[in-house]
Amino acid sequence: MRILLAEDEKQLSRVIVAALNSRNYDVVPVYNGQEAVKKASQGVYDLMIFDIMMPVMTGVEALKKIRASGDQTYVIMLTAMAEVDDKVTGLDAGADDYITKPFSLKELLARIRSLERRTENYGNGVLNFGDITLDSNEQRLESFNSISLSAKETKLLNLFILNANKKIISEILIDHVWENDDDIDQDTLWIYISYLRQKLQAVNAHVGIEGEKGGPYQLVNTSKEGRT
Amino acid sequence: MEIYGSFKPYLSKIKDEVMGKLDILNQKEIKNNKNKLYEHLIGRIKTEDSMMDKCQRKGFSLSPKSALYECKDAIGIRIVCNFIDDVYRAIELLKQADWCTVVKEKDYITRSKPNGYRSYHLILKVATPYPAIDGSMAGSYFVEIQLRTIAMDSWASLEHEMKYKHNIENSAQIVKELKRCADQLASCDVQMQTIRQLIRENR
Repeated sequence: MRILLAEDEKQLSRVIVAALNSRNYDVVPVYNGQEAVKKASQGVYDLMIFDIMMPVMTGVEALKKIRASGDQTYVIMLTAMAEVDDKVTGLDAGADDYITKPFSLKELLARIRSLERRTENYGNGVLNFGDITLDSNEQRLESFNSISLSAKETKLLNLFILNANKKIISEILIDHVWENDDDIDQDTLWIYISYLRQKLQAVNAHVGIEGEKGGPYQLVNTSKEGRT
Repeated sequence: MEIYGSFKPYLSKIKDEVMGKLDILNQKEIKNNKNKLYEHLIGRIKTEDSMMDKCQRKGFSLSPKSALYECKDAIGIRIVCNFIDDVYRAIELLKQADWCTVVKEKDYITRSKPNGYRSYHLILKVATPYPAIDGSMAGSYFVEIQLRTIAMDSWASLEHEMKYKHNIENSAQIVKELKRCADQLASCDVQMQTIRQLIRENR
């Protein structure tokens, strides 16, 4: 699991990174909200953890910007115990969960395990982007028409929607969709990208995957209103 | 009653002639080193009983004019293709053909019916040497063309079977499964077409 951590207290950041690394999570630490927005726009993460009070840009402002860009990644906010308003504004800004400071690492790790269970066991259900709907449980893509997807196509499109408008390199896509299968290379990924492109076209969607063979690839809204 | 009246003998002839013209289009494609246009053709003349039912349902009078002019599917030809690309190639060729004009088209492939039905319907107006209801000695007749892939055709047969059996148990589930099956067949059609394109790009 890849985690983006935004925490301005260097000491605390180091402790969290060490704890997460010890559980084999891959952590990218940043120290203010602006850096968090930048990293989020460039990479694919499975989880983001943001402190609220940070210099340059607060965690809540960063979260709002990230959500506005279309990113639906799971976000946990770190809030001060006394500030009920912080929890409310954080959740209203698009956070999925919060932990009050001071917190125990045990609790943070338990919440991450809970998140892992959810994404592994229940899939992500139904996702929307532009004029398409992806039902991961039914493995079905819908727009003005509907079509079935294979398990891998579903996983790939799921990842694209969660990271819409980002240019994603092939290695990340292969890693997330095929996990431990070492036989998968650029050519296989290209075939699956081609399937998805044709299926998006077959359901008359105004959504497309941009990129040449070899990547990076980017899911974009191609309707007149959606183009920015 | 004979709803087609004196025009009945011409219908089979026109059907055969149009099928002949489709065969010529196909032969031309093959001669130009392209894939065959279609897998097979099926033609039929709507029975007079079904035509009378249809006219009654639509509130038309039971006359040759209703059967041949108001309704445009007395003569029907189905073009069954291997791949989705071939369906669209055939449509383009029909639009360019000098012996007919496309007067109506419905694309149920990019916008399938809610039950999952996929097919492309065209109504052609075909010039013939035969007398027509407008009084002309060499008049035009309408021909309905349905274009679909083999997968869509098999699905339609299955759906047809279900539609005409009224006492099926679990019919709601069957309808749902038919829809799911249509989406899966569409998925296979798109997959085959994509593989064909990838093979061509590698050539």
